[in-house]
Amino acid sequence: MLRHIARRLLLAIPTLLAVFTIIFIIVRVAPGDPATAALGDYASAEAVEALRERMGLNEPLWRQYVIFLGDLARGDLGRSLITETPVIDQIAFVLPYTLELAFAATLIGLLLGIPTGVLTAVRRNSMTDYVGRAVSLVGLSFPAFYLGILLIYFFAVRVRLFPSVGSAPFSEPAQNLHYLILPALTLGLIETAYIARMTRSVVLTILSDDYIRTARAKGLQEKVVLVRHALRAALIPIVSLVGIFAISLIGSSVLVEEVFARPGLGKLMVGATKQKDYTTLQSIMVVYALIIVVINLITDIVYTYVDPRVRYG
Amino acid sequence: MTRRRIVAIVLAMAVFMSGALTGLVGSATAQEGDRPVLRFAVNAADLASLDPHFASGTQDRTVADMVFNGLVRFVPGNSAEIEPDLATEIPTPEEVDGKQVWTFTLREGVMCHPSAETEAYELTAEDVVYSLQKSAVPDRSAYSRDYTGMTVEAVDDYTVAITLDQPLSETLFLPKVANYSGGFIVCSQAVEALGDEAFRTAPAGTGPFMFESYTPQNSVVLTANDDYFRGAPQLGGVEVRYIADPSSRELGLQGGELDLAAGVNEAQWVDRINAEGNIVADVFGVAEAVWVNMNVTQEPLDDPLVREAIALAINREEHAALRGEPVSELIYSVVPAQLMPGGLTMEEAEEAGVLYQQDIERARELLAEAGYPDGFSMDLITSEMTDYAANYEVLQAELAEIGITLNLTVVDHATMHAQIREDVNPIVIYVAFRPNANVYLSQFFHSDAIVVEGEAPITNFSHYSAIDDLIEQARAETDPEAQAELWKQANIQILKDFAAYPLYMQNLVYARVPELDYGHELVSSVALYPQITEMTTLATE
Repeated sequence: MLRHIARRLLLAIPTLLAVFTIIFIIVRVAPGDPATAALGDYASAEAVEALRERMGLNEPLWRQYVIFLGDLARGDLGRSLITETPVIDQIAFVLPYTLELAFAATLIGLLLGIPTGVLTAVRRNSMTDYVGRAVSLVGLSFPAFYLGILLIYFFAVRVRLFPSVGSAPFSEPAQNLHYLILPALTLGLIETAYIARMTRSVVLTILSDDYIRTARAKGLQEKVVLVRHALRAALIPIVSLVGIFAISLIGSSVLVEEVFARPGLGKLMVGATKQKDYTTLQSIMVVYALIIVVINLITDIVYTYVDPRVRYG
Repeated sequence: MTRRRIVAIVLAMAVFMSGALTGLVGSATAQEGDRPVLRFAVNAADLASLDPHFASGTQDRTVADMVFNGLVRFVPGNSAEIEPDLATEIPTPEEVDGKQVWTFTLREGVMCHPSAETEAYELTAEDVVYSLQKSAVPDRSAYSRDYTGMTVEAVDDYTVAITLDQPLSETLFLPKVANYSGGFIVCSQAVEALGDEAFRTAPAGTGPFMFESYTPQNSVVLTANDDYFRGAPQLGGVEVRYIADPSSRELGLQGGELDLAAGVNEAQWVDRINAEGNIVADVFGVAEAVWVNMNVTQEPLDDPLVREAIALAINREEHAALRGEPVSELIYSVVPAQLMPGGLTMEEAEEAGVLYQQDIERARELLAEAGYPDGFSMDLITSEMTDYAANYEVLQAELAEIGITLNLTVVDHATMHAQIREDVNPIVIYVAFRPNANVYLSQFFHSDAIVVEGEAPITNFSHYSAIDDLIEQARAETDPEAQAELWKQANIQILKDFAAYPLYMQNLVYARVPELDYGHELVSSVALYPQITEMTTLATE
């Protein structure tokens, strides 16, 4: 297993290098100048030029690229072009908020999605099935930012159960949880819809398999057939898809962090894009790429536990 | 897992949740000691620089206004008036060897905030000299251009002499030493100890609130400066939150998470917020002017008949309706007469024959006369921001009436600013506030400022060069009334030559909880927010 992990990590290096290069080029090809963005349209040409020089933007592109890769290899993500705070500090501050949100949303998705999916599969073509499918279709069609605004309106403005915007530090866990619930529900309910539909379809396929018929023929209780046989087998595709969903969740968190004004990678990225903050932007992309590689790796490892047929030498 | 265990877990979670929520909900205000902390959302994703000499975005000007002072200041809530700030009085200038000398006496006992590297200390003339000299250095200030030709000396600990090579009227000089842009006085020991870079995210000044902390992309926390020379603030502090999404700011106010927030510059939004009852929307100046620049050197706009045709195709009321009253007000010269001396009122524009109301028939005739009976087409870029995109679209519809086709390409805001400075647009709609008529005219209509080609290119998009003399005469005029008259003449000439067409100006909009009292009347603010001072109060239940 360790060898497999090491091999996967080594294989990730060329992928990451390609991603870094593309990111480096994209952020610079986009028109606009960070120095002008930082100083505003009233600033003197001399001031803008002085800032460009200090930001290192007058260096040739190839040299900026070499410096970027060299810094990256040393684990140095550089400093924000705008505020000059170390990017690593900014990311270290916001990353736990994004991970917390993605984890809570995935948990909600699993806790609500799997039972709903199983229930609608077992009661196929019943009212429960129709309602479950209709509700999950609505969930799939709902944009995260709109659901977020609706939840804020009902649970923070009309009934002041939860805070509308903002966040609380991790040193205050109760407050932190309080601020987390609405954003996590926003993403979690959408996640629930995906997982429910997928679980339903997987369970339906499995329920028509021969070994399930055999289990029933042996006289096992339907509950045992469902939980011990069908659900165990269904977990394999669910795990791989939850991995993919987790990746897309981190992407969707951009909108939710904006709407709820929560710190997070997504909010950091939007801000850096608006300010043309190249170093912060490319470092966030690097972190995103790393997260995706790590999530894929975790998915592989979890596979080996849920499917005994999978073994890595 | 048995059904009983599942029920037990669900019940335990319910108890935990209700316990967690008790005491957390309904905290209507934040507290610092026995004083409330103001929670204030600005329209930005993050700060850019809290060094006041680099603060150009509204979100940064806001913090600078609370942390720093100037030698003089715009009266809080009424920036048409200037009063002493760190100085004890506004001096009368003296002429010495053809130069102009302004001698300021400083208040005694003004304390600089402590910083991460320095203790609190008394501000002296040395700090003022250091600060104004810093403002003149291009890589230490975005406003260096405004401080050239100025010598600053400390006469003694509490006296500062500022000598100008070129005498200026008080209209032009006082804003340079006021609580605005390069006029903010920084504490020299803090800047030197922290270094310029660190100072940009940890400022130290003399204002009613002191910098406490900065969380990137999230907030800046300020605490009350109890040693403030005008008295301890009524608020315990101010938490400035960076929330770029207008819906989130509004929901934050409605949900009790915020006390003050940047609003949406639309009359409909103002009416809706005020109708809801639990939030108050404030509309105030200073307003940004919106106008059309036409490149007088590029075909077919180099023909004055074509420019006149375009001017007569425009209906400024339609543009102003994009924001609606009272957010928008019509203007009749690029320099808004409502905000500063030198602008033209409607009556003055009419009297000078430069009012130009919409006349489609006449516009078509002029175009035919110029040799374009079937019109022509033109490619323009616009920012995605409503201020720009919507105005370009209205202009597109207006010019279509006379046969001119505008092909619009939408780009992001920073790209538009970069590209119009590279002269890609023969017609540029611009939205800007500038502190006085001289800056408007110098930056947009003096030949030195012509984009790409000028000696010091800034924002002269119309390539106009016919009023250089008037601008320079006005700049040198020390009598404020005569100066304003010269600026009016310059504005009339711009309109006679159809180098620009003024549309409207748009006021600022903020929303607050009714419990928040700014502590002053709110008419206008060059700090671009309602201004939080030591007098501001937030009533708690």
